[in-house]
Amino acid sequence: MNFEEVVGHHLLDHAIGPFAAVGGIRFGLSKHLLMMWINGSLLLVGISWLSRGRSKAAQLARMAVEMVVLFIRDDIVEPILGHAGRPYLHYFLTLFFFILLCNLAGLVPYGATATGNIAVTAALASCTFALIVLGGIREQGLSGFLKHIVPGGLPWWILPIMFVVEISGLFAKCFALTIRLFANMIAGHIVALGFLSLIFTFGAASRLAGLAAAPFSVAVVVFVNALEVLVCLLQAYIFTMLTAVFVGGALHPH
Amino acid sequence: METLLSPDPGLYIWTIVSFLVLVGLLKAFAWGPLLRAVEERESAMRSEREKAEAARREAEGIQRSLAEQLKGVDAQAQEILSKAAREGEALRERLKKDAEEESKRLLERSREQLVEEKARLVVELRGEVAALSVQAAERLLKKSLDPGVKKEALSEFLGQLDARGGGKGPGGGA
Repeated sequence: MNFEEVVGHHLLDHAIGPFAAVGGIRFGLSKHLLMMWINGSLLLVGISWLSRGRSKAAQLARMAVEMVVLFIRDDIVEPILGHAGRPYLHYFLTLFFFILLCNLAGLVPYGATATGNIAVTAALASCTFALIVLGGIREQGLSGFLKHIVPGGLPWWILPIMFVVEISGLFAKCFALTIRLFANMIAGHIVALGFLSLIFTFGAASRLAGLAAAPFSVAVVVFVNALEVLVCLLQAYIFTMLTAVFVGGALHPH
Repeated sequence: METLLSPDPGLYIWTIVSFLVLVGLLKAFAWGPLLRAVEERESAMRSEREKAEAARREAEGIQRSLAEQLKGVDAQAQEILSKAAREGEALRERLKKDAEEESKRLLERSREQLVEEKARLVVELRGEVAALSVQAAERLLKKSLDPGVKKEALSEFLGQLDARGGGKGPGGGA
């Protein structure tokens, strides 16, 4: 069995369904897109249900979700963005829960980690980028936003260089967001697959060696999976937090 | 592994569209109601707290004004008491003075009465004494003396009596 093949099968996107190509770009339903839609639908139905439901289960779920919502509001958006962050709150809530659900979906059997696809994380980071720019323009006006890209108090001749540096810094932030989420999500899967492959590597040498390696490998994979739950939460939090920090920097330049 | 690191533009665009649609849908159907409920609860709690605080402030105000009133009442009572004492004292003074005056007046009047009485008694006594003396003299002189001597002696006696009665008072006649 080829390890690269296994990893590719588990981690890469697979097209399912018909393609429609527009200008050389192929738009088609794929595994990761399907996972995102499922996660989005779950979020939409789940949160709508628990925010309106009168049943005991809905109330319990609402309490749990409210705790997270209040954490995002009071400990991320409010301190970083201030009261100007109120209109952006629902964006951060959606971002956090969407990333969290996409991360966790990879741990469910038959699920796939959409956030382990660099196109998905790049798209999310692009939304952050757009929010930084649009939020900054909305809050300060176009000229104010452009002026505050460069920190104040610098000699005039350094401004053109700093402008370029700061603009590329803006892109670098979003690029870092893309890579951080993608790499964190894919790393755990690769480690888990690697340890599971050990069983077959030893098994190819001798059946007994494979059997001996199995408990060890499975134990390590269970541990890695537990760690992944933590990483899923952590990365969703970090992506949301950093987006808030970047947007906050654009909203309040001082 | 190159496919792992090269983003698929189709999926990239799909993701952006899907995510933005999800943001809009969740805002309308999920976060909106949830946040509204949370904020309503929070504002209800805040208003409850404010109400409780206002009630406490009011109670404290009432307590303060009551204490002040009590202090005022105390002072008022003190004033009334001292005023009553003052008035009582004044009344006592006045009554005492009245009584003294009255007694003085009574004394005066009784003294005057006594004087009057004395004068009357003197006159009366004088008449009585005169009559008695006349009788005594009559008896004494009936036998021997002639009327001329009798008359002379009598008038002399009366003159002496007059002089004594005018100078000495009531005791002289008895």
